Amino acid sequence: MRVSTAMPRATTLPRLLPEDGNPESIRAHLARHGRIPYRGNTGVLIRDLEQSGLAGRGGASFPAHRKFASVLENAAKRRVAPVIVANGAEGEPASSKDAALLGLAPHLVLDGIQLAAETLGADRAYLYTHSVKLGDHVRQALAQRHEDLVAVEVVVAPPRFLAGQETALVSHLNGGPAVPTFSPPRPGERGVSGLPTLVQNVETLGHLALIARYGPQWFREVGIPDGSGSLLSTVRRPDGRARVFEVPFGLPLRDLLGDPTWIGAVLLGGYHGTWIHTDQALRLRLDNDSLSAVGASVGAGIVVALPVDACGLIETARSVRYLALESAGQCGPCLNGLPRISAALTDLARCRAGRRTLGDLQRWSGLVAGRGVCHHPDGTVRFVRSALETFAGEVERHMRGQCGATRREPFLPVPSDVARAEEDWV
Amino acid sequence: MSGINPSTLPWYLSRATGVVALVLMTVVLVLGLLVARNGRLPGLPQFAVTGLHRNLSLLSVVFVAVHIVTAIADSYVSIPITAVIVPLTSGYERLALSLGAVSLDLTLAVIITSLIRSRLNLKTWRAVHLLAYASWPVAWLHGYTAAADLQSGWLFGLAAVCLLAVIAAVAWRLIAAARDIPRAERVGHLMSAVHRRMTGPMPALREPHSHRRTTTGGPR
Repeated sequence: MRVSTAMPRATTLPRLLPEDGNPESIRAHLARHGRIPYRGNTGVLIRDLEQSGLAGRGGASFPAHRKFASVLENAAKRRVAPVIVANGAEGEPASSKDAALLGLAPHLVLDGIQLAAETLGADRAYLYTHSVKLGDHVRQALAQRHEDLVAVEVVVAPPRFLAGQETALVSHLNGGPAVPTFSPPRPGERGVSGLPTLVQNVETLGHLALIARYGPQWFREVGIPDGSGSLLSTVRRPDGRARVFEVPFGLPLRDLLGDPTWIGAVLLGGYHGTWIHTDQALRLRLDNDSLSAVGASVGAGIVVALPVDACGLIETARSVRYLALESAGQCGPCLNGLPRISAALTDLARCRAGRRTLGDLQRWSGLVAGRGVCHHPDGTVRFVRSALETFAGEVERHMRGQCGATRREPFLPVPSDVARAEEDWV
Repeated sequence: MSGINPSTLPWYLSRATGVVALVLMTVVLVLGLLVARNGRLPGLPQFAVTGLHRNLSLLSVVFVAVHIVTAIADSYVSIPITAVIVPLTSGYERLALSLGAVSLDLTLAVIITSLIRSRLNLKTWRAVHLLAYASWPVAWLHGYTAAADLQSGWLFGLAAVCLLAVIAAVAWRLIAAARDIPRAERVGHLMSAVHRRMTGPMPALREPHSHRRTTTGGPR
């Protein structure tokens, strides 16, 4: 086992982000973590990944070692070199952890890309980000590096909610619009240029670069058995500011939320996520085992505390309008269903709902779920249904023409920029 | 005057199944155009239209098979077995049978790729499936040139109706495609249509009270 002299104390967080909170140059990065621990062979790192229990940090929590193993197998079967893509396209407006990581510790992610490329025998790599500014930042970091095995091309995704979805990413890298496509074949079988493609969230690759240095045992010293290591969590408290914390899996949500007095409800997992009551949230921990009890999951680590004076229905309606506009417009249920759901929710939020509005919402939600090429309708419906449950009291009040909110300004971040033409997707 | 007897049976059977196959393939093609546009038939859900398209196409394959086997088996004219799939190998009705062979080859490609569709990627399958549009006209010409049957009388009417049906359906498909709203603009169209009926201000709000006791700092 490789043990670096720079090995941090076991339970010290942050691991990924620099402690001083300043963007890390190559010099600072090398001082903190040392050089890239290349293994000199393919496949070796996959065993370490398996022992570490590292799960994808993009939202789906898929075990990293299984993705690696399947890409390696597909590449060997076809005798081709696979492609590595570090996915930093954070289309979700409520999340800023990928941006924080790329901004503060780009070299850790770039190390992860190189190690993944060595492990899989890849000769091409991409870093896919949603921001022109971050793209430039990463290009500058790349120019400082001298030990890279493969060149990394930085590609900026269009600012669309779905642009980071795996198949949309592949479509964009292949020169098309960043819209989800029918899968299978999965990117691991046929991705960029038809080659087996490893798509990993940038945070996952950052953790990989640490596991390669300090080992799987070290990685597991933080977190719980079912959720090993730390994760970056974007937390928005009632003051409206988004903060990115690196926290251990299993952390009580109470510790993230701060003073519960001002919290009306909690949103877990962003706009494809789940609303829950504040008192529920205070009993839960940030791991999938605990959150599954309320039908939620860790996802990409988004935790939003809605201020007590905001209206959950108005906030949900605004977000769902955004989600409906972000539909790629490819699948009938999503294209036709989400605008109707959005309109009904807006009616409800404005206390203009008719007697049939709630029934319509439930019916339409049932009609769109599970019927798209991607999970956009499913995630949106989960968000809507959990809002109707969590804000049931508010729904009743709105049906009587009243709204309990006193806050005027919008709380949840919703981009105003809307896709109008094909150019907005490329 | 010829009647149906053991020696003429293959001949009649071949002509009859050929005519039925033409009608079936016409219906299959029109249904295919409907499926491609996510169209419906009155009283049928969409998957049933797809199912009908698939099942009728398989049924038409059965008729085509009988049509071919009986034509070969008929001892009155000699058609080499290679003429079934290879054009220009038949002395008898060289042009018509070549057209038939070409049409069959194209149809087989369409059918086989559809049977193994789960193993193909969508683009390959679709590219091959488009051959159906080439196969049908060739099959129609094969029928029209192969025998005098289709050239007069009510069978000519039937052939004409089939041709017109296909022309009309293809025209409908092309016009509908030209009228399509580009993918990226569809959502905006629907959103403004659905949201248009809702205007007016948000509900009256009570005076906001200040709660800004901001607590900051990292997790404990």
